Amino acid sequence: MSATATGAWVIATEEKRLAAMVRAARALGGTVTVVAVGPRALADAASAAGPDGVLWLEPAGAEPVEAHAAHVAAAAADAAPRTLLATVEPGARALLGAAAVRLGAAVVPGVLSLRTEGEGVVVECSAAGGAAIATLACPGPLAALFAGDDDVTAAAAPSAPVRVLDDGTAPADLRVVGRAASGRSAGVRDAERVVSVGRGLKAKADLALVESLASTLGAEVACSMPVAEDLGWVAKERYVGRSGQHISPRLYVALGISGTPQHMEGVREAKVVVAVNNDPAAAIFRTADYGIVGDLYDVVPALVAALSS
Amino acid sequence: MRAVVAYTWARDVADAAVRQDGTVEWRKDKMSPGEDDHAALAAGLALTTDGGTLVGLTCGNGDASWALARGVEQAVHVTDATPHDDDAATAAVLAAGVRSIGAVDVVLVGDSEEHPGVPVALAAHLGWPAVVGVTTAAARDGRVEVVRTVGDLEETLSLAPPVVVAVAARSAETRVPGMKELLAARKRPVTRTTLAELGVDVPDTLVARGTRLPATAPTRVFDGEPGEATRQLVAALRNEGVL
Ligand SMILES: Cc1cc2nc3c(=O)[nH]c(=O)nc-3n(C[C@H](O)[C@H](O)[C@H](O)COP(=O)(O)OP(=O)(O)OC[C@H]3O[C@@H](n4cnc5c(N)ncnc54)[C@H](O)[C@@H]3O)c2cc1C
Ligand SMILES: Nc1ncnc2c1ncn2[C@@H]1O[C@H](COP(=O)(O)O)[C@@H](O)[C@H]1O
Repeated sequence: MSATATGAWVIATEEKRLAAMVRAARALGGTVTVVAVGPRALADAASAAGPDGVLWLEPAGAEPVEAHAAHVAAAAADAAPRTLLATVEPGARALLGAAAVRLGAAVVPGVLSLRTEGEGVVVECSAAGGAAIATLACPGPLAALFAGDDDVTAAAAPSAPVRVLDDGTAPADLRVVGRAASGRSAGVRDAERVVSVGRGLKAKADLALVESLASTLGAEVACSMPVAEDLGWVAKERYVGRSGQHISPRLYVALGISGTPQHMEGVREAKVVVAVNNDPAAAIFRTADYGIVGDLYDVVPALVAALSS
Repeated sequence: MRAVVAYTWARDVADAAVRQDGTVEWRKDKMSPGEDDHAALAAGLALTTDGGTLVGLTCGNGDASWALARGVEQAVHVTDATPHDDDAATAAVLAAGVRSIGAVDVVLVGDSEEHPGVPVALAAHLGWPAVVGVTTAAARDGRVEVVRTVGDLEETLSLAPPVVVAVAARSAETRVPGMKELLAARKRPVTRTTLAELGVDVPDTLVARGTRLPATAPTRVFDGEPGEATRQLVAALRNEGVL
């Protein structure tokens, strides 16, 4: 690392977690620059998120952001920031990786918080699949894949100057050659309330029970992956999880779902998660907000009654 | 096309339990490939069906025969590489392994949840671009065509080699090799090498200061007969303002 490395770069390809990353970078001291790779609106959002400056690069029509990784890395080598932050989102991640290696930075995933300690930075990051939080001290330059909470309360800051990042580096030969609707959009995507069912359901006909709860709640019906992919009882665009829908309802009711990390990843941003499961040791009782241990065939009718009274 | 599939070998995080004092205990010592690695391997096979070669690359405890039993012709095993907290350090070892294989068009890596920095840092160490979050890959006119889901869109990208592609599995492996394939795997060549032979020295720059339990509130469980439990639940949800 060069002894002059200072300040932080937030590399952003979308607005998600942008304000939270700028805030985390601010807390480290030193100047904060957002490198915004995307449309003008992204640069404007970055400018209002409170950094000292924005470097903006807009990929041409068919260029994925990844085509500009070498470009961003070259700019990082010039500016020599001490810390890099980006989300794990594919485009941002590729840019961060390229810049990190140019700077000789350590790449740490799942970073939840950062603080300066002497010459170094100390981070907290998720460990053991999120079951624990690890503390790591980083004496040298650091590239953090930021997984902290989105900062939705961020006040609009005075806008920072936006400078176009253009050093003439040719983009890599990567092209988007097709974009098609993936059929993943469904009512569940934007629903405020979702009732979801897993392999705890014994027969397709019993979906009527699930639907009765959904209609009482004004909720959409969703499911775990096996219920859609293996059993075919619910449409594929309704399964939730790592490979399916990522949703953020205010209420998510999981019936007969064990709560594997692959499933829970889809509801990480739900406000309240309720689990009904007859196994008190089910993993979902370690992450849900509320739970009822019981047979869904007894609990669901009781719940419909309780909601209606 | 000449492709390399790099796969990890680690304990399954599902076997990790966190004690009250925050330390992590492994309930099983079983090591297995990364959850996404079978999808990376499948993509590697798809890219090399037309007369290409696919080479497996693994480190440390990795079992080279895992790939060899799944249609990979030869493997390189960096026997003394140990796990790193720093994904760029892991990537430096893998990059040296890839270079030892010679001319390579594409390196496939499982796009793991635990180590999302590995493929992008690996690409940077090689000086290649990286495309991650991919579900399938195919060779077309000397280029690599990959598909990934971005929000509601299915995006197809055409990539000029050399390139690093990280593949995310959509489900568990469906077809596990049988005895015949396992026996055939034993006959396939494995090149065992070391960090010194590869000329890589990746010091750990990060200092681990231990682990703690997350400060999340425990699940509020309502016991008792369904009528009472659901009444308590409904009251709690009204309180939360979600009903
Ligand atoms: C790479 C990969 C990606 C994946 N992506 C996804 C994904 O996107 N989405 C997804 O959902 N899964 C995904 N999975 C699968 C995931 O790991 C689990 O296998 C799946 O989520 C389990 O579904 P389930 O909870 O319905 O079934 P199970 O794990 O079988 O759980 C059923 C639960 O129902 C309970 N139960 C049984 N009977 C009753 C009853 N009468 N009343 C109440 N409770 C009852 C049981 O106690 C059990 O906890 C993925 C897996 C892999 C490897
Ligand atoms: N994506 C990967 N592909 C191949 N090897 C890896 C990968 N990630 C980690 N490794 C190696 O596999 C071993 C276990 O790493 P880890 O997954 O960090 O526990 C280490 O020796 C790493 O160098």
